[in-house]
Amino acid sequence: MIRPLAAVLASIALTGPAAAAAPRTEVVDVGGARAYVSADDAAPLAGVGLVVRAGVDRQTTSQNGLAALVAESILHTPAGASPAVPPTAGAAAAGATAQTMPLSDAVDALGASIGYAVGTDSVRFYLEGTPEAIAATAPLVARALAAPSFDATTLAAARAALAERFGDEDSDPRLVGRAMLRASYYRGGAGLPPLGNAGALAALTPADAKAFYDRWYVRGSAAVAAVGRTGQATDAASRALAAALPAGTAPAATVAVHAPAAQPKRIVTHRDVAAPYVMLGFAAPALGDRDFPAALVMRSLLSSVLDRPTATTLPPAFRAVGTIYGYDTAPAQMIVWINGARIDAETGLTAVDAVVKAAAAKPVSATVLSRFKESARGEWTLESVSLDERARAIANAVTRGLDPDVADDVRAAIGRVTAADVQRVAKKYFQRFDVALVMPRSAGS
Amino acid sequence: MSGAPTQLRAAVVAALFVCAAAGGALAQTAPAQPAPTPAPATGVLPSGVTYELRPDPAQRAAAVALWYRAPSTGFGAPAAPGLSRLAAATVAGSAPITGTPLGQLVERWGGRLSVAAYPDSVAVTALVPPDHAAQAVRAMTADYFAPVVSAAGLQLAQRDAGEDAIYRSFGPEAIEDALGAALFADGPLHDGLIGTVTGLAGIKLDRVRAFAERAFRPSNAILVLTGNVDAGVLAGVASRAGAAKTDPESAVAQTPRAVPAPVRREGNLPGTGLGWIGPPISTEADATALDFVADALFAPRTGVVAKALGTRTVLVTGKFVTYRNPGIFLVTISGDDAAAARPLVDKALADAAKPMSQAAFEAARAAFVYRLLSEMETPADVADTYGWYTVEGAPGYAPAEGGTRGRYFTLAASLTPSAVAQAVTKYLSAPPAVVTLVKPAAKGTST
Repeated sequence: MIRPLAAVLASIALTGPAAAAAPRTEVVDVGGARAYVSADDAAPLAGVGLVVRAGVDRQTTSQNGLAALVAESILHTPAGASPAVPPTAGAAAAGATAQTMPLSDAVDALGASIGYAVGTDSVRFYLEGTPEAIAATAPLVARALAAPSFDATTLAAARAALAERFGDEDSDPRLVGRAMLRASYYRGGAGLPPLGNAGALAALTPADAKAFYDRWYVRGSAAVAAVGRTGQATDAASRALAAALPAGTAPAATVAVHAPAAQPKRIVTHRDVAAPYVMLGFAAPALGDRDFPAALVMRSLLSSVLDRPTATTLPPAFRAVGTIYGYDTAPAQMIVWINGARIDAETGLTAVDAVVKAAAAKPVSATVLSRFKESARGEWTLESVSLDERARAIANAVTRGLDPDVADDVRAAIGRVTAADVQRVAKKYFQRFDVALVMPRSAGS
Repeated sequence: MSGAPTQLRAAVVAALFVCAAAGGALAQTAPAQPAPTPAPATGVLPSGVTYELRPDPAQRAAAVALWYRAPSTGFGAPAAPGLSRLAAATVAGSAPITGTPLGQLVERWGGRLSVAAYPDSVAVTALVPPDHAAQAVRAMTADYFAPVVSAAGLQLAQRDAGEDAIYRSFGPEAIEDALGAALFADGPLHDGLIGTVTGLAGIKLDRVRAFAERAFRPSNAILVLTGNVDAGVLAGVASRAGAAKTDPESAVAQTPRAVPAPVRREGNLPGTGLGWIGPPISTEADATALDFVADALFAPRTGVVAKALGTRTVLVTGKFVTYRNPGIFLVTISGDDAAAARPLVDKALADAAKPMSQAAFEAARAAFVYRLLSEMETPADVADTYGWYTVEGAPGYAPAEGGTRGRYFTLAASLTPSAVAQAVTKYLSAPPAVVTLVKPAAKGTST
């Protein structure tokens, strides 16, 4: 991917002076696991993320939701009697005591937050607070990680919490469609919805949760990312979280897919939505793939197709077309959604189809390439702005065996994408797709 | 395929492979001289622009924000709810002399441009990759200091604003907006911030232009630069040729009602709103105490009210809004179980007038401090706090200023259970202003 010198010079002239480069991430050993430290001394908060290779691909098809149930149970594990945890007014109002307070509430009461995200191949816990709060809460989190409760009470609370999240996700047609296309693309447990569903969760037992935890929550495959106001508190927290996991290494897993066929597979569901959403699922290169930068340019191109000019940046719900790129899993999937409230679905589908076919047929013009490389580079940059996003970017990189700062390399690589790269990627990935239709309940099929 | 999709396909293909006349505005840039070491700075440029520079080179993005003091309903009568936002968006959507409209320019950089309007201020914020910060400063100041207000720009802005008004009408913000009429006898809060689709569509180009030319003057501007940005970008701030240096706008007058007037309106979100007049921003200790109370009682999931509500299907929000004078405390209740929630809200507020136990207080304060800090993580968030507190007349009280050792968090650290209870007694024990939003009698959506 060599770019002509003239283009390089033009790019320098157009972009103006570069601001100070962000510091690179340091890699440190925290007792058997690696910690990746990205400091930001101007931030008042610090974040510590722990990635465990216990994502949905570790589930069997009969264990739908187990990865999420285990992670949620850890957050609901009673923090236990500790002088560090004061009873909050909110907890008192709900009848909780310091002994019964779930970990997440105890962390909140000490001025921090704890959350998790279940991915295809890993689950990422994220603790955030001031350095003082990190110091106070990390031992509680470590204790819950080391000895989570999977009793019936904890599992019931975890199921209830997950049920709330189902409701949130079910009300967003893009997330509904994404789940449908993931299920169509990924084989086995990897295609199951990250949070499971209510029916499946009800069938999971404490023994299931314990067995999943015992098998997959091990230190050797884990990684820790510390971001923001890092220092002694985050170093100690990183050690504590890594040490909380039993020694051992989980075997690597390979994610298998059903590649989209020449004839698109169509999946239809009905939801309480105002207008239909049409969603196209393409196979796509993952982070670290040589085709990834060109795929980001394609994403930018597809995201802007048919979008009318606007005065300001529209929130996704107001856009006609958008994308969801699951590049944190290899093989990856890119989803293009068309909002039927904004544009006639057939028109949108035709336009997207025209773009991907045209991009594969011959190289895009220099002007179009320059325009969408610039957008792609900016959009990529703005994906890692908050502390949580920065920790996630590092985690995504290191769990793929990549440099923790690969995001910076990707940014540079987008600048080197050629029209031939875009054409190659369009041919290789964007000519076949599956289709999910999320229809209003009142509509026919 | 029908004829229309075929034409569309041809148009898309043509757009991809024929050199378009796009990107011309990028060529207008000239490198600015970055400062060797980014350092915080506050000052006033010769053109009268107040600036706040708070660099953070570890950030991946830069925020460039222009804040203006200007009434949301316009200067003078008749009040036009939504005018300030509409005017700011119109400028962003109008093609300036140099070429590309600001909104499109920022979009091409992969950045995000937003406009936010408040009763007496309006903010335009661009979040951009660091290597576009200088261009963003040049383009934004050039576009706003000598605003071009075109019919095409107004059309875009009216469409965006109309959709935004509908979107907001389905959320608690609609109830908060209605509370203004119950709390104030006049002023922008009384008239409402959101506006209606019909009202926004009826605002004429001349009024938007007159507003923009008066509001968006350099001497009325506060330029906030945060994130991965350095002082060198200040060299690119535009001036307004031939403009005499004038004073910034004065704060608009708003008259609180002596006795709140109950309001009943039709709306897309049925619910109840409760409102109280609070302290002005200058009464910093009380304002901080009410920020704390709002968080302790109404924080999602862990607040007193959320815990008391349990699994009920209801959304309750509560916030203290730190305006120049006076601030306001707003509570909204909506959802299927709203009727059952009201007594729980009343009890929580009554209990808050009594000092919390020290242990519970410490926990609530720790959570409050964390949540506030977590709302200032991105450059755009940080720019918002500086812009807001500067335009409201208390820049040193901005929570982002000085971090946890700054004035705001020092006050938060000095709060006591009794001081908080006293603030509740003083400001929240009187009968509140009450608004009731009900579904329109006829089937349809209220606009």
